[in-house]
Amino acid sequence: MSDARYRPNEVVDFIVVGAGAAGGVMAKELSTAGFKVVVLEQGPWRQAKDFVHDEIAVMYREAFINDHRKQPNTFRKTPNEPAKVQPAVEYARMVGGGSVHFTTNYWRFHPEDFRERSELGAIPGADLRDWPITYDDLEPYYTKAEWDLGISGLAGSNPFDGPRSKPYPLPPMPVKSSGVLFERATKQLGLHPFPAPVAVLSQPYRGRPACIHCGFCEAFGCEVGAKSSSLAALVPLAVKTGRCEIRPNSYVRKIDVGKDGRVRGAIYFDAKGREIFQRAKAVVVSANGSETPRLLLMSKSNAFPQGLANSNGNVGKYLMFDNGALVVGLFEHPLNEYKSIVVTRVLHDFYRSDPKRGFYGGGGLDSRFDYYPASFALGLMPPDMPQWGSEWKRAVGQYYTHMGGTLAHASCLAVEQNSISLDDTVKDAWGQSAMRVTFKNHPDDLKAVDFLIEKQKQILETAGAKKVWVDASSVGEITYSRHLMGTCRMGDDPRSSVVDKWNRAHDVPNLFLVDGSSLVTCARQQPTETIQALAYRAAEHIGEAARRGEI
Amino acid sequence: MHINLTRRDWMLAAACWAEVLRAQSSSKFAWFDPVMAAEIEAIAAQIIPDDETPGARQAGVMWFIDGALAGYDQDKRELYKRGLAETQAKRAQMFPGSANIAGLSGAQQIELLKAIEKTDFFQQVRQHTILGFFGHPKYGGNLDMAGWKLIGFEHAMSYKPPFGYYDAEAAGGNQK
Repeated sequence: MSDARYRPNEVVDFIVVGAGAAGGVMAKELSTAGFKVVVLEQGPWRQAKDFVHDEIAVMYREAFINDHRKQPNTFRKTPNEPAKVQPAVEYARMVGGGSVHFTTNYWRFHPEDFRERSELGAIPGADLRDWPITYDDLEPYYTKAEWDLGISGLAGSNPFDGPRSKPYPLPPMPVKSSGVLFERATKQLGLHPFPAPVAVLSQPYRGRPACIHCGFCEAFGCEVGAKSSSLAALVPLAVKTGRCEIRPNSYVRKIDVGKDGRVRGAIYFDAKGREIFQRAKAVVVSANGSETPRLLLMSKSNAFPQGLANSNGNVGKYLMFDNGALVVGLFEHPLNEYKSIVVTRVLHDFYRSDPKRGFYGGGGLDSRFDYYPASFALGLMPPDMPQWGSEWKRAVGQYYTHMGGTLAHASCLAVEQNSISLDDTVKDAWGQSAMRVTFKNHPDDLKAVDFLIEKQKQILETAGAKKVWVDASSVGEITYSRHLMGTCRMGDDPRSSVVDKWNRAHDVPNLFLVDGSSLVTCARQQPTETIQALAYRAAEHIGEAARRGEI
Repeated sequence: MHINLTRRDWMLAAACWAEVLRAQSSSKFAWFDPVMAAEIEAIAAQIIPDDETPGARQAGVMWFIDGALAGYDQDKRELYKRGLAETQAKRAQMFPGSANIAGLSGAQQIELLKAIEKTDFFQQVRQHTILGFFGHPKYGGNLDMAGWKLIGFEHAMSYKPPFGYYDAEAAGGNQK
């Protein structure tokens, strides 16, 4: 099948802005359902052969992520202080988006995550809400995502999971030493560890090869296509329909709206900086929880002077960030954690909120050591040791292969003033207003992290670690995040939410926001599966509505 | 592009880089002048000393730092110039009569660096030294994979389980 090519003045059925975790689902689902789709992705279209084991390029030269030099954001903790240029959000800027370089943890939210407000009541200083949908509403789409992408795991092994209609399509990945130690210790403590569900192929699946355990997984792209990203698993199927055109290096600056208040298409800069207007019957924005609200706020019109779909002023509010500390330990024998995937065991015993603890929240823990040689030597040695010189060098030589750890994925409450807005005083390389990030943790976020750190230390000590310490870069108030959630919340009430329970903008019938922005709560992080399940659910509904002429 | 290579091919490629880099050592830096290079190298060589195993000097970290300042990290040049000038002033104050950092004894160099280790300049040189020493050899540091050998990082292109002692043990093996 030849690749689809559309002229900008051809009115295609859908534009999808962003080809990431959610955009990849939308592109594949809508094009296989028979619709003409143009995907506008600001980053390049890399292939598996472009993914190399180069820590300098990937970790220190922003090879894959948003380039903070070209796309600066400003940051402030509260609206009362001036915002200054300081990187605060990170996302993968390429076809496949964050699904290309993520750690691959693939967790379902728990049934109670969708109704925490009803179960726990109001939390002072936060806006905790129930979702307009339940776990049962989403379950078929969790299953669809797991089978479509290729997820490895063991159904029924997590006693805290909700009911499932189908097992995982692939068995768990081989356990690593960190996973063995984690499982041993947590079982000894009477807890319930389980094999990590991951978006990596433990066996060949649908024409893609199994993982070769190369170890350059988190932050890197998979060179053999075994990581179950949108890029490897979904985009090829969308392209194969002959109806989906992926346009990389296309940076959307505005969603265009007609006098009738309906969306007519998107204006973007191509690779050469030329402005192009692509027309469409409907637009899906899947640009992530920070760029989606920014684009809406940049899309001002007579019909929407405060920004598109923002008649109630809620666009950009309730930003939620990643939360949780890494605790590491030094062991007697080599673990060689630099081999294979990052996470092989997970624990959800401390996930659920327990009012007896005196704060909202909790977290999931995983076994991991996700540092590469340079990042390890730069920042992960114990803080009570010299950080350079011969003694440091000797220790560095002994530690790298002998360390393992556990990362917490902790709750982060939705707070109204935590937000994405526009900063007209700073422009990006395309002359557009920079993103302004306002974020300060709710006190309960930090209490949850402290609570979990004690559990993490106990687990590593029980596992026999000779020395245990906390990664200093992962504690304290968060000022930088890769999880970008909650800025266009889903809800039944058009006065207090941005999209309805099908991800359709309350204000605009032919505009859909499908990504982390619609999350009402962030559960215990690891949002990728929920973002993709919501996308599958939205795509099915949007396709049916389009066929009935209801868009 | 080395992803399609076998491990043997990769080792050969790495050996070629090493040759290229050795050849470089007779050529000139892209940004450093020789005087400044000698001073920065003296600092880098205390951050990662050459002792029983290669350190920053033997691994060619200066080539990495020079490449960074000539390219991606151009905006750090001023920090290097200003930081080095301030460090020279500190040296003159701590060791009257000394001419340069490279000429100090090892113990004096360590004393000087301890006095400035909280500065942005020292932290930047430390970052560059470590990135060069542990980063990919193609950037000029980590010659002969000295940094990776130090920490026991194999850098094979793929592995098979068991990966470490404890998973081997759990699988019933007895890996040393």
